Amino acid sequence: MLTLQVLINGILLGGLYGIMAIGMSLIWGVMNIVNIAHGPLIMLGAYVTYWTFTLWGWDPFLSLPVTIVALFVYGYLLQRLILNLVVRAQLFLTLLLTFGIEVAMVNLARIFWSSDLRQVTPTYAAANFSVGGLTIPYVRLWVFVTTVVLSVVFLLIMERTRLGRAIRATAEELRAARLTGIPVGHIYAVTYGLGAALAGAAGAMWGMLFPVTPMMGGALTLKSFVVAVLGGLGTMMGAVVGGLILGLAESFSSTFIGPTYPNAISFGLLVLILIFRPTGVLGKGEGR
Amino acid sequence: MKFHGSWRTLLGLAAMGILLLATTAWAADTIVLGTAMSQTGKYAREGKFYVDGYQITVDALNKAGGVKVGGKPYKLELKMYDDQSDPNLSVRLFTRLVTSDKVNFLLGPYSSGIVTPASSVSEKYEIPMVQGGGASGQIFSRGYKYIFGTLPKAEFYFLSAIAAAANLNPPIKTAALVYSNEAFDRSVADGSRQLLKDYKIEKVYDEEYQPATQDFTSILAVIKSKNPDMILLAGHTENSLNFIRQSQAQDVSPKMWVFTVGPPTADFRKVLGKAAEYAYGVTPWLADMDVGGEIFASAREFDKQFRERFGYEADYHVAAGAAAVLAFKFGIEKANSLDPKKVRDALAGLDVETLYGRVKFEATGQIAMGQVLIQIKEGKVVPVYAAGKFVNKAVYPMPKWSQRK
Repeated sequence: MLTLQVLINGILLGGLYGIMAIGMSLIWGVMNIVNIAHGPLIMLGAYVTYWTFTLWGWDPFLSLPVTIVALFVYGYLLQRLILNLVVRAQLFLTLLLTFGIEVAMVNLARIFWSSDLRQVTPTYAAANFSVGGLTIPYVRLWVFVTTVVLSVVFLLIMERTRLGRAIRATAEELRAARLTGIPVGHIYAVTYGLGAALAGAAGAMWGMLFPVTPMMGGALTLKSFVVAVLGGLGTMMGAVVGGLILGLAESFSSTFIGPTYPNAISFGLLVLILIFRPTGVLGKGEGR
Repeated sequence: MKFHGSWRTLLGLAAMGILLLATTAWAADTIVLGTAMSQTGKYAREGKFYVDGYQITVDALNKAGGVKVGGKPYKLELKMYDDQSDPNLSVRLFTRLVTSDKVNFLLGPYSSGIVTPASSVSEKYEIPMVQGGGASGQIFSRGYKYIFGTLPKAEFYFLSAIAAAANLNPPIKTAALVYSNEAFDRSVADGSRQLLKDYKIEKVYDEEYQPATQDFTSILAVIKSKNPDMILLAGHTENSLNFIRQSQAQDVSPKMWVFTVGPPTADFRKVLGKAAEYAYGVTPWLADMDVGGEIFASAREFDKQFRERFGYEADYHVAAGAAAVLAFKFGIEKANSLDPKKVRDALAGLDVETLYGRVKFEATGQIAMGQVLIQIKEGKVVPVYAAGKFVNKAVYPMPKWSQRK
């Protein structure tokens, strides 16, 4: 029974990890930017949800579209006005720039909103139901369902629309994409915007489960990084699979090995994957 | 070129001269208390309590005439850096405070994990440090002479809780012990293990977790399967918060649960709302305790002034920080000197009543003080058990989640 409960806990959390990492994987895959500011984007999404909930009483699930649009616009502008200046430059440069954005975002959040812990608490926050001795919290279940829906929508955008094709074309063959008239600067900005929007959605849901603070992002950047690499860079399904692997690894190691081990296990997994399958679980082709 | 260079040298010399003059003038009638506190990073929340606690006490002291040495009044001044919740940076900043800023005395940082290395700086340079942020036995077990602490012993944090648990009706029979693997929380756990044995409470779960843990569902699933009467959690505010919220979602409700950090803090109760009800906590200090002394006549008066200025309730972190500043005032006046060694000896023999209670240090440098077991009832902090007896009736057993309104 315990094993089954742990399995469910792991899957429910893994879904959230998955959606956190899709944005990271996308931005990395298309522009070769390791987005250190990914965690702060999640933080920003959490705050948007927190404020719409606290000030206007908006339900955190219903305000999700608002959060997604807000973060998309923010991400778009960030890429268009700042990151496009160094995109396709050396990895180190973009790394440094996103690191700078991270520092700025965290500290601005601290100045504007203080470092108080905050929590999005709709009336159903702690509701749960039991099936055959298993306890399943509603919010976690809904969060999982929402992440699945969002991931599918996102995959459809990437696979089936002109925009998705343009993004993939830019990622695969920049010069050819330019020649066919794809506005690369705009596509880059849209890509970053989409990544930010997904991060924002993840943040909105993270804020329903865990406290929101300006500093929450750092650990989440790291988690997204691990998940993105585990699953395979640039493959969107990979991030989802990576998220589930991480969620399950954390929840099982914490239960059966000890609660101090989840990080050791996650990073251990990362090292193993990098050794034996450097392109990730779902990654295509050989590593560079 | 040469001309240019000599100009620069001259300018530099002049600037240095002015600086030197300025520092001597400034050193003449001020006593500088140096500190590095966590204003950003993971301890930013708790760090702010100390920043505000230090500031209000320094200002109140100055308003009351400062500190008198040899009949001459000195103003106090705070020289503060941000250690970003990083122990390594903390050591560098304290070294800078001592060697280049040449502050007179040191106020401590927050959390045992940072106080422990920082106190090595004060010991090395023989500058006394009084701190209200670290309670781990590690800090005080190294035979250091220059470190003093105003938080009670970590090993005894759960003493009042475990003693009360054994004397409740029906008494607690089984307990789960959950703690973060930080210095302080490990010390709490070490002490609690012995206390549980002494009070004949069976320990059915004993695990440590990483302080950055957000998700406690796996831990909760195991605890739920063991069904303990009591849960003892030693961790930081965020851990307690997540633990309670997720217990509710996972439907885990023991007869009693006690948290080292959180329940006495207003912020904690605000974030959790009704879910915080019935949670027990421990605190060395409460704003409505009957204590007081010079500068702040009572704990209540201190809390009132504090709330007027900073807009939130003072908790024990704030008071422990205030006590650290006051310890220096009394220590310096008792020594009647600014000599670090003399002040250190005066601090070691200090015995004064303050807003925080009686400040008297043991030979190790840690304060001789107990903890009060408190419970949250209708959003208020109510003392339940102190100095070996019940002072108010506890709500026990805690109602199950399904029975709460």
